[in-house]
Amino acid sequence: MQKSLPALIKKDLRLMLSSKFFLLAIGSLVLYSCYINFVYVNIDQDIFPVYLYDPHHSLESLPSFVTKADSRKELQEAYSDGYSVGLDMSGATPKICMISSGSDKTDNYRAAYALSALSSDGSSHAELIGKNDREMKNRREITSEFLFFELSAVGFLGLAAMLFKEKHMGVIRIHGILPINPNIFILSKLGLILLSDLVFAVLLTLFNLGINAGISVLPAVLLQTGILSIIMALAGFFCAISLPDFKQFSLLYLILAIFITTPVFLAGQTNLSWSWINLHPMYHLFMAMKNAYFHTPVANGTYYTVCAAAIILLFLLARLRLTREMTKEG
Amino acid sequence: MKGIKYQLKNIRRDKLCILTFLLPVLIGFALSLLSDVSFSSISEITFGIVKNDLPADTVDWLKSNGNVTVYQKTADLKEAVNDPSSQMIGVLKNDAGIQTIRSGDELQMMSIIGDTLPLLFAERHTVSQYNISMIPLKHNNDILKPLLIVITLVTAMFMGCTFNAMNMISEKEDGIIFINEVLPMTKTQFLIQKLLLGFTGSILSTAITAAVCIRVSLVQLLPLILLILLSAFIAALAGVFIGHFSSGLMVGIVYIKIVMILFLAPPILFYLLVPSGSILHKVSCILPSSAAFYGLMDLLNGKSQDITIYLVVLTVHSLIWLSLYRRLSLRGQKHA
Repeated sequence: MQKSLPALIKKDLRLMLSSKFFLLAIGSLVLYSCYINFVYVNIDQDIFPVYLYDPHHSLESLPSFVTKADSRKELQEAYSDGYSVGLDMSGATPKICMISSGSDKTDNYRAAYALSALSSDGSSHAELIGKNDREMKNRREITSEFLFFELSAVGFLGLAAMLFKEKHMGVIRIHGILPINPNIFILSKLGLILLSDLVFAVLLTLFNLGINAGISVLPAVLLQTGILSIIMALAGFFCAISLPDFKQFSLLYLILAIFITTPVFLAGQTNLSWSWINLHPMYHLFMAMKNAYFHTPVANGTYYTVCAAAIILLFLLARLRLTREMTKEG
Repeated sequence: MKGIKYQLKNIRRDKLCILTFLLPVLIGFALSLLSDVSFSSISEITFGIVKNDLPADTVDWLKSNGNVTVYQKTADLKEAVNDPSSQMIGVLKNDAGIQTIRSGDELQMMSIIGDTLPLLFAERHTVSQYNISMIPLKHNNDILKPLLIVITLVTAMFMGCTFNAMNMISEKEDGIIFINEVLPMTKTQFLIQKLLLGFTGSILSTAITAAVCIRVSLVQLLPLILLILLSAFIAALAGVFIGHFSSGLMVGIVYIKIVMILFLAPPILFYLLVPSGSILHKVSCILPSSAAFYGLMDLLNGKSQDITIYLVVLTVHSLIWLSLYRRLSLRGQKHA
């Protein structure tokens, strides 16, 4: 039995190579890295521009963030974009003009901010308490998201694709006649997927966080990668062995990719608070991954215990299905 | 006609497939249940304060400018401010009035707000001396909810693509393609049969989802229907293309993944980042999903001046891709 493990691994590796599994991973790596480095890092939101129409020149000096308008019409055009705020100083009482943003609170703030243009002489600064600047935060955030998405997709899909190929070639039927230890059968696939996921995680992190920041988060990230990769691969194995053909599986995959991960991203990315999100198992996996990237140790003993239990349960389920399938075929 | 009947029979056995087409409908239903309030509060500024720290009138002032969250201890507040997913600005008491803290990773807008808040607070009484002319919004300015609805709709359309591609690939793998070649069936008949299934599926799925979560006026109904018809057709056609080119399942998955990313990501990105008047916005219509996406977005936001352009773009797309496929399949026939 012990001898068959290297042989199985060799066969699985060849299967992965022939199904262009690695090509897919490298393609994703390049695509994600380009997106992060060229697009996402530059995302920012500017504060509302303030435009001033002041025909009587009642204001002597203007702060740098105020743009002058030469006529009332120009002012009107400027603030009609729905974001900018206009200050009209032509009448007896000055007027603040803007198109409502839909929220009274934000509108109040916009008015107050525009007024500070007229009378600000002091300056104030907020105390900075964080360790990241905006660019580094963006890098950490999006890298954790991509890694999470890719792991839940590639682990799940990659293993299933391999298994369906084998099913198609009749490998399960052969094993039904020539019995093999189901543990080894699962482990060889799991090991390969885990290894490739770990390599993927290392490369993605180093490419997008830089060498120094990357290395400092890697230990924590690799731990979470391992957990996520094993869970997703086992889930993929179970689904693939239970479903009759790949078509059904791929539709299921589409659901997983879009509908299960989207709320997780929304909850993790914005400060939307949904109480039900705590019941979403993927949310905890995602937050553990994100926290690993931000050096915040939030995952506790309960989390690891539940993960270990889930892995054991999934492994047992996958083994049960595999044994049943082998008996049925043989 | 008979061929389509057999195809339908084949799907009817496939319960999961029907279920997947129903899934966007369920999501649309969930979206329409989510209240507008939970979405619009995202765009508001959030301030964090510590309990019993600020005087009541200061808290009221903060509440009139944004959402206020109260924390028990300063350490809790600092942790919340540092949380990378929040853009919260912490407000504490000091001698002059208030002192703000922020984590330093905010968007430029939030960092300016954090820096200037004490000044605005000191001048809070001057606002009453001004006339404020507020022009109310003509339509709801909430971006996120329409965005989610449109993403769901585009995904529903995409189901047709996946279904068609998978259908063709599995026929290829099972060897039915060879049987098809011997059968007295023209390439056009084959194309119609293959197209029609995914096409009807995605139309049904998209239309029901749209009915669940979009409220449009009667005038907009026709453009909406046309938009759904054309986009679903292009999606189904894309599926046939993928099925034609991919030799096996894994390759098919790779293609589907690429097409899915191209289908969903660029329109969202362009929509959020590129102003609608610019040239890049027009260029982005080279992707059929962008035109569909912008059209749906405009319909949801109550704008309809550009909708004809999007419809024309989609029609041109469907004609080009259809003729391209015809040429491809004819060439294949000559080889055979």
